[in-house]
Amino acid sequence: MGFFDKARQYLGLGGSSDEDEADDPAPNAAAPGARGRDRKDRPPLVEPPAGTGQSVEDALAAREAGDHAEARKILATIDRGKGLRTLLRAAAALEAGDEDVVKSLLAAVAEEAEGWKLSLQLAGALGDPALAAPYLARAVAAKAPAWAIAWARAGSSDEAERRAGLVDLLFEDPRLARTIAARDFNVVGAVTDADATPRYAAFAHGRDSIRRFGAATVGRLVDRAQGGAR
Amino acid sequence: MSAHVRPLLSLYTLNRPELKAFSSELRAVLTSDDREGLARTLGLGAELSARVGKGPRAVDWFLRAETDAEAAPLFASLRRVAKKRALALAWTSAEPSLEGRLRAFDLLREDARVAGLIDKLLDAERLPWFLVRPGATSGWLDSAKREDLAGQLRPLRPSLPKELVAFADALRDLDGDVVAHDML
Repeated sequence: MGFFDKARQYLGLGGSSDEDEADDPAPNAAAPGARGRDRKDRPPLVEPPAGTGQSVEDALAAREAGDHAEARKILATIDRGKGLRTLLRAAAALEAGDEDVVKSLLAAVAEEAEGWKLSLQLAGALGDPALAAPYLARAVAAKAPAWAIAWARAGSSDEAERRAGLVDLLFEDPRLARTIAARDFNVVGAVTDADATPRYAAFAHGRDSIRRFGAATVGRLVDRAQGGAR
Repeated sequence: MSAHVRPLLSLYTLNRPELKAFSSELRAVLTSDDREGLARTLGLGAELSARVGKGPRAVDWFLRAETDAEAAPLFASLRRVAKKRALALAWTSAEPSLEGRLRAFDLLREDARVAGLIDKLLDAERLPWFLVRPGATSGWLDSAKREDLAGQLRPLRPSLPKELVAFADALRDLDGDVVAHDML
């Protein structure tokens, strides 16, 4: 929880903390999902082959065109061994029944599922409150910040849940709330906030990609990876 | 040519329990989408009450930009009610230069503790969204931090310009938590 969150909480605007510690980091100091990970210990990134020029967007477009084999080929080409590309590559393998590839990627998927970010992206991508509930619970257990939980709730297909999420967002992080209102909800008169836009983009890209791929399949993969990791 | 008028920074005593209560009431009516309750909470007249009855969700009105012509009077009502319930004007600076002095006067900036407390008092991110106005300077300190800042400013008093002396005196004379705002 960031310093500004705590200051607002001190005024009774959310959460339970009544401390106001000046030594807390600012809310935007760490990218969503960075919490709880020791990035210094990670192996160096494996760069994709030069000149492929392909992206997750190309893979999703191929799937949407019905060419799942081409989508898998693109994902295998651009996979850097971590992140969204690996997640979708493994999900595509699971969908195709390619157990060898699934097994080879499960550890990376389990690592990706650590912390709260992926759980909330999945919850937001699933939309259905009943399906999203276990992922929301995992994110809460992983100490997801209030704004991130509110955002995931705002993505619910249930109107009351969606409204409650938007209200929570407004009280927790008004800049992000207005950016989401403008971009996700097309609220008349809402405008994006320049300071909140990078955070919006970082979270929404994963959520939207998972949604386009098929959140149920990604959920099955994550459940399996986390089950195996325990 | 019209002259640009710089706003004057004011200090308000904050009734924190009342602000919390107001915030809770507002949150409840928005969450339940209680349009009549929202109109009552904000003390809206007939025209604005009808306005908040429109649209898919009541909360959408406050997700709009404050510059939105239709939403602007609702934001104004919100601040007016919040101010009436939880804030009491204690002092207004006579000098438009006060904020600049607070943010840049060497003697204050050289003391990390003083500078940190001043920055908190002038940090709108620490206030609830409904007290924040785009382009305005605002923030708050709890009672202990206000007393701390007033105490830190006391020995500096002989070296401070007049607008900072007046600010330090006002801060010292206040009771409890304080909100600073120049467009409330």
